[in-house]
Amino acid sequence: MNVNQSDTSDALVAKKPVVDYEAIDLEKTHQVSEFKHKFPLTSCRADPTGKYVVAGAQDLDIQVWDLQTKSNRTLKGHTSWVRSFDFSKDGSRLYSACWGGDIKVWNMTDTQPKPIMTIQAHTGSARWVRISPDQKKLATCGNDLLIKVWNVEDGKLLQTFKGHERHVYAVDFHPDGHHLVSQDLMGFIKIWDMKTGKQARSIDASVMTGYDNKFAADMGGARDLQFSPDGSELASAGITKVVNSFAGVQDPIIMLFDWKTGKEKAQLKPEKTFQGIAWGVRYHPDGFLIGAGANRSGKGELWFRKPGEKEFFHTMKLSTAARGLDLLSDGRHLVIAHSDGAVRVYRMTAEAKRPTKTKT
Amino acid sequence: MRRNQGCNHLDHHLARRQFLAGAAGAMGLGLLGSPATAEKIKGQHKRVLQIYLQGGVSQLESWDPKPGTEHGGPFRAIPTSVPGMHISELLPYTAKQMHLLSIVRSINLKTNDHRQGRLFMEKGRRAGEYPYVGSIASKYLAPANSELPGYIHISTRGLTDSTSAFLGAQHGQLKFEGVKPPKNLAVPKGLDETADARRVQLREQFNQQFRVGRPKSLTESFDASFQQAAKLMGRKELFEKAPDPKDLERYGKHDFGRNCLLARALLENNATCVKVTHHGYDSHAENFNFHLEQLGEFDKTFAMLVDDLHQRGLLESTLVMVYSEFGRTPKINVRYGRDHWGTAWSIALGGCGIQPGAIIGTTNEKGTAVADREVDAGHLFHTYLQALGIDSTNDHDIAGRSIPIGDPTAQPIKELLS
Repeated sequence: MNVNQSDTSDALVAKKPVVDYEAIDLEKTHQVSEFKHKFPLTSCRADPTGKYVVAGAQDLDIQVWDLQTKSNRTLKGHTSWVRSFDFSKDGSRLYSACWGGDIKVWNMTDTQPKPIMTIQAHTGSARWVRISPDQKKLATCGNDLLIKVWNVEDGKLLQTFKGHERHVYAVDFHPDGHHLVSQDLMGFIKIWDMKTGKQARSIDASVMTGYDNKFAADMGGARDLQFSPDGSELASAGITKVVNSFAGVQDPIIMLFDWKTGKEKAQLKPEKTFQGIAWGVRYHPDGFLIGAGANRSGKGELWFRKPGEKEFFHTMKLSTAARGLDLLSDGRHLVIAHSDGAVRVYRMTAEAKRPTKTKT
Repeated sequence: MRRNQGCNHLDHHLARRQFLAGAAGAMGLGLLGSPATAEKIKGQHKRVLQIYLQGGVSQLESWDPKPGTEHGGPFRAIPTSVPGMHISELLPYTAKQMHLLSIVRSINLKTNDHRQGRLFMEKGRRAGEYPYVGSIASKYLAPANSELPGYIHISTRGLTDSTSAFLGAQHGQLKFEGVKPPKNLAVPKGLDETADARRVQLREQFNQQFRVGRPKSLTESFDASFQQAAKLMGRKELFEKAPDPKDLERYGKHDFGRNCLLARALLENNATCVKVTHHGYDSHAENFNFHLEQLGEFDKTFAMLVDDLHQRGLLESTLVMVYSEFGRTPKINVRYGRDHWGTAWSIALGGCGIQPGAIIGTTNEKGTAVADREVDAGHLFHTYLQALGIDSTNDHDIAGRSIPIGDPTAQPIKELLS
């Protein structure tokens, strides 16, 4: 009862709680829009200015959707599936890496962007591309077991790092701009000093690989890699506990490592019933962590973890597999590339009720 | 359409019923073959090298790439040493040897089941107790004085098959676990040659007593096991000799590389049929990463082996088969996997009796169906045998009973024969 009304004979009316629809409430995350392509998607990235989301698919093209107008552009030029993207800080340049080993650079201010530069970066797949914090270099990795650093302006090769013995799945710059981190199929994480051009140290993430005895093959590697904004922590998404990877029987995992010591800080896993792969991980500027993955039957999940906690505190079920994850610059939305060909935008706040239409 | 999503556990074990039926056939029908068939191939020691990609290699990631199409996957096609012939970019070393090989791209087995597909590919029949290609090679191609068993299978794990059916146990597959010598190959410690010879003599005496009133084939089966063991004991240096480091560098230091080096040594030492199984192609999930890994291992090793056989003058007399039990679905599932697909897939053949550099048949643009020159394992079976000079339209003569060697309703792919 509303105490203020106790002495009146007026009908009692519950006071509506005040909802701040701008306040992040992860447990109320909900879908707000959808952009559909005809082929299953493989990856996605939101541009830093919040205008676009781009996605790679099981075809040769890049899909670009304007988040405001919902218009679509298709970027053509790759000769195989695109698996990784990055944007320049101002959103004017898109960098894409494909299974064919090429890196392409696109001017996103053009009405219909075409590749303005192609770097034949790797023999075999180019699995990952990232731009340096100073916006001057690109880091790539590929199936030639190499990490390469390129001049972003002219595509000139600046540095090559050798040392991985199995396919390299991901690479990223540390926010200090002087170190690179890479992870391979066997889970090995190597940290490279760009000043000396040598491996500085390594981190044991061998829990993120497994040998499938039944089929006599290895399965593992990072499916996403990201540093916390302050650079103190590294997150890697992938798999663990390989039972029968040929049928998708293994567990998703997101591992967190302390950057300074290289020590493991957390092994984050979804419920045991969700077997599959963790395909995405992102640090929110507020400190919490978001993960996304897909299970054997093609369903997806979003996972949320509060800073310092050892487990996810909230899981959101998704109707189709999540294959890529990114955050919009407003900090309120995240985007997911789904296996049914859709990029869906999810808002991490309570759902604003739309005004109901009244009949006249 | 219901696709097969997984593997039958039982498929990976010996089918007891099949084993018993095979053994009964061997015991009941005796071991004699057709003198006419044996005469025709007399004096030509032809060999077979089988590379079995267990689980079902994807035709789209190997012999029949469709880059840029709906189901084409992420990999591109590359040119080969045969003008106009393209294969997957996952096979760059093999691409340089394709002038020695041919591709059949139009196989429709009408089954998506591991066991059914495997048996059909090996026996040339959909059902029934018939011998495998390797057992037939052992029966009709192995020299009488061969120092090695006629049908050797090198595999690190997996299936145990009853392969010889009515041809008799001595033509059955002898399986090696990788390059390790079979167990108990050496004469037991404390037993000198004289004592060992007396032991053999004693066993033969017992056999003679045992034969009285029993079918000859029964004791022949037992004898065959001892004979195979004795042959191997005589050639145990094949297992004991460490591979040349240069060869290991070329072939790869992994199990498949070492197994193929052993296969080369066996063929050079007049083995008749050597089968090497490379595991790990049943990729219902992560098909592309797994094919990168598996074909990455297969490609260079296989290309080196084919080149070595060619350089050493063995390829002309050695039929090379690269095959699976089926291919993989064009449709990519939600786990980035491809499932079982016997409807439109490919194998590669080369060497003895095979026209090199040919492409037989085509699939449609999306790879979902055979578009031209459909064949099944019955046709392939006739083709293997005729390439080896064995008249597959002839009969096995088993104790006076005639059994067609190949399925009478199928024919060889004549345009593939040289």
